[in-house]
Amino acid sequence: MKIFKAYESGFRRSLNAWKGVVIVWFFSLLSVSLVALPMKGAIKAAFGKSMVTDKLMGGLDVEVLVDLGASLRILTHFFSSGLFFLILAGFLANSFLAGGLFDTLKKSDNRISAAEFFRASAGNFWSFLGISSIISIIIIIIGFLVVGLPAGFISNLHADSEKTPYIIVLISILVFFTIVAILNLVADYARSWQVTKEKKSCFKALGFGFNRTFRTFFPSFLMMFIIMIVLVLFNLLVLKILGPWRPVTGAGVLLLFIVSQLLFFVKVLIKTWRYGSVTSLMEQSNPDDNLV
Amino acid sequence: MLNLKKKFIPQISQIGEDNLQPICADKFDLREILLTTDLMKKTLLTILSLMFINCVSNSQIINREPLSPRITGYRIEAKLNTESQTVVGYMEAFWVNYSSDMVRDVQLHMYMNAFKSNKTTLYSEINSKASLKETEKGRIDIQTFTAADGANLLPSAQYFSPDDGNLHDSTVIQVILPQAVKPGDTVSIKVNFETKLPSRIRRTGYADDYYFIAQWFPKFGVYETTGMRYRMTSGWNCHQFHAHSEFYANHSVYDVKITVPNEYIVGTGGLLLDETDSGDGEKTLTYRAEDIPDFAWTAWPGYKVFTEQWEHVKITLLIPGERLEQVERQFTAVKNALEYLTKNVGPYPWPHLTFVDPPAKGSGAGGMEYTTIFTSASFFKIPVCFHVPEMVTVHEFGHAYFMGILASNEFEEPWMDEGINSFWEERIMDHYWGENSGMIDNPLLRISDKSISRISYVSSGSRQVVSNNEYSWNYPHHTYSMMSYQKTATWLYTLMGIIGEETTNEIFREYYRRWAFKHPSGKDFINVVNDIVRNTHGDEFGPDMNWFFDQTLYGTGICDYKVSDLHNIKLESALKDSTLVDTLKKNLPAHDTLYKAVACIERAGEVMLPVDVLIHFTNGDEVLESWDGKARYKDFVYTGKRMIEWIKVDPEYKIRMDVNFINNSMTQDPNRIPLRRFTNKIISLMQFFVSAFTL
Ligand SMILES: [Zn+2]
Repeated sequence: MKIFKAYESGFRRSLNAWKGVVIVWFFSLLSVSLVALPMKGAIKAAFGKSMVTDKLMGGLDVEVLVDLGASLRILTHFFSSGLFFLILAGFLANSFLAGGLFDTLKKSDNRISAAEFFRASAGNFWSFLGISSIISIIIIIIGFLVVGLPAGFISNLHADSEKTPYIIVLISILVFFTIVAILNLVADYARSWQVTKEKKSCFKALGFGFNRTFRTFFPSFLMMFIIMIVLVLFNLLVLKILGPWRPVTGAGVLLLFIVSQLLFFVKVLIKTWRYGSVTSLMEQSNPDDNLV
Repeated sequence: MLNLKKKFIPQISQIGEDNLQPICADKFDLREILLTTDLMKKTLLTILSLMFINCVSNSQIINREPLSPRITGYRIEAKLNTESQTVVGYMEAFWVNYSSDMVRDVQLHMYMNAFKSNKTTLYSEINSKASLKETEKGRIDIQTFTAADGANLLPSAQYFSPDDGNLHDSTVIQVILPQAVKPGDTVSIKVNFETKLPSRIRRTGYADDYYFIAQWFPKFGVYETTGMRYRMTSGWNCHQFHAHSEFYANHSVYDVKITVPNEYIVGTGGLLLDETDSGDGEKTLTYRAEDIPDFAWTAWPGYKVFTEQWEHVKITLLIPGERLEQVERQFTAVKNALEYLTKNVGPYPWPHLTFVDPPAKGSGAGGMEYTTIFTSASFFKIPVCFHVPEMVTVHEFGHAYFMGILASNEFEEPWMDEGINSFWEERIMDHYWGENSGMIDNPLLRISDKSISRISYVSSGSRQVVSNNEYSWNYPHHTYSMMSYQKTATWLYTLMGIIGEETTNEIFREYYRRWAFKHPSGKDFINVVNDIVRNTHGDEFGPDMNWFFDQTLYGTGICDYKVSDLHNIKLESALKDSTLVDTLKKNLPAHDTLYKAVACIERAGEVMLPVDVLIHFTNGDEVLESWDGKARYKDFVYTGKRMIEWIKVDPEYKIRMDVNFINNSMTQDPNRIPLRRFTNKIISLMQFFVSAFTL
């Protein structure tokens, strides 16, 4: 029951925090456009006045891509370095904007202005950055141990059964997914606790996060696990919709843009729902948060 | 060349299809004959050996008539020892001197010795300095080597390295004969050998209890007579085992008995005639193969066996039990290949075919061909949209034609097998699995099989360092596969683009008719092309097609036709300009504007091929121009009231050698829809990706 209440409350809170969701979406579009639009210009220049683009109407044509020659190499470098920049920028932006979001979510009927949103973001930034950094480092290390090592192991394994490596990979992915769910819980509890405190300290917040996660492990984990599965399914749905969609008119391309951005908006909303649900669960149980 | 056919082609014995017992193989065991006197022994052995030769060369079990001259034949008894990973064998073999020479030696391949140390030619070519572990070593030891009369030939045998003089390589053995062999005479040998298999499977070897056994017995080289291929004088063609090379051998008859532990499932390139259980935990399988250039086999307890029939061919598939969901995919692939090649090249002449999908631990054996047995390559749970298993199966089966039936010299002209076979593989894959999805067929990504070759060739930085006319081990800068497989397939597609699909098929039908069960060379193939193109198209492409092969097969140039410019010049005083002559102008009203519309085409590469140029005007008119493609540039000029809207050189992308399709066209109004669509998708991809990386 607690979980359903948390979902319901989290959902309401995330809808109330729509301004924050819009800000997150807008920032994402803006930062990605900084990389994607120059890339588009470079691709346009590489194709010049060629009609070979007609061959791309039915989808990606690897022969045409390879014919780009040196331009393709430049584009690939641009794309990979752009992606690295975006991940870095996204990490910092998330640390910043999550402060505003968690602050908005802490009361179920709390609607705040954009100015208040940014004030809260700035106030929580350093602590949130610390929380995100520490949890991300733990995820990377665990990812290496849980997925990287078994992958290396099976590549040298001459197992009699071909199912064995397959099962090892599946299990390691599932274990990793489970650990990420737990660490997400820690981060979310830590952040939702942090916004309620005047004094900012990422270590204290993380201490609270770990404590609360393991003291209320079963309901918390189940709730997070289900939300993460919803997120994975949603991502697959997006892939299913956007992947094969190949509009052939200007209006179709515009529609593709609108739909893709709507879908990303929903994705941000689901993440906010996760934040809201964890916040709600924390408020519901609230055993003795003075422990830390 | 002497007409030896009458003399040596055996008389066809009248064996009914239901009487599948080998005539001679089981009638006697030479080793059990004990004779008391040397003379009697020698005489009898000679007689018995000749009986064996006569039996082999005269008997027909698989096909009613021999498909190839009986130049070589082998009878082998082999026992697989799974404790020591060795094959202990006894072999009787013959070679018939079809030449008009007195031949003083025989040369044989001893290919398992390529795995003897890290100093062999194989390992030095792959630059492997690390010394081999004992288990990784392989070798073939000859214990006895005698002539038919029992004379010991070992003292006159020596290893030598005809290709690179490598003293550490012992993959070719030369045996000086006691007497020179007269034209028409036969050399028969008897060899006791032991083959130690290497643990790392590189075409051959073992992994745990999995065995793929190839290049495992002493095998005659090819004695080439004057005039054959490029021979100025007769001689042995017997190359060493190289890292990047395949093989060359006579079509032969094989009678092979294989003894393995009972639990092992065996697959070979032969037809199973008999299976007996020795009662001591082992079984002996008797196989017969006719007219194939090599005999390979596999043994593993984990195989599941499936058989299906395609017309006259009984197809056997050996596959790991965990990949049963792929059985249908594999049979579909091999049947498609059979159907397509039968229709467009010629009939598959054997009634049997075995193919193997090796397990992961034996994957080193995957993707190799031995005519009537070949290996595919796959893995557990491979998605249906990735046609890798199908592609490998189609490819390796295709070798039954371009290595098996049309047994070119793969050492010296690798393009004739791998290149031609890749061309057919790509045609088959794209024909049956989709013109744009022969390789990958997923809603997110579709790739045709023919794209793979072109991409590999076009994107190679070394595409101009060497021509296709090179010995396989001499290709520099890791260009062996790109040149032998991909460049060849790409220029064969280009040839088809020029002369048409049906003419191309007719070329291969004629190539099959003329050269099946012989050893064609590149020039023989070109002669067929020239004859068929002349018969079909007359002088349309000149007296012959040598100009094409000189540039593609023997040349290193690249092909690149481009539209360099498109302009429509408004002629202000057009009507006053008496120098302008245009039929359109005569009918123009005085107030109409005239344009000088120019399509500028350039040849940016060295290769000169005839190309079509399609010019589209603003009023909807289209003109298809033909250009011989020889000059460095060509301007097509039109004067009239119409303006050029777009130009395409090679509008159907038939010249697949063209290294850049992007510059093949130019338009006033480029279609930006795919680019905008792509940008939108990249934006959302990045958004979702970055979001997944943040908490
Ligand atoms: Zn091949």
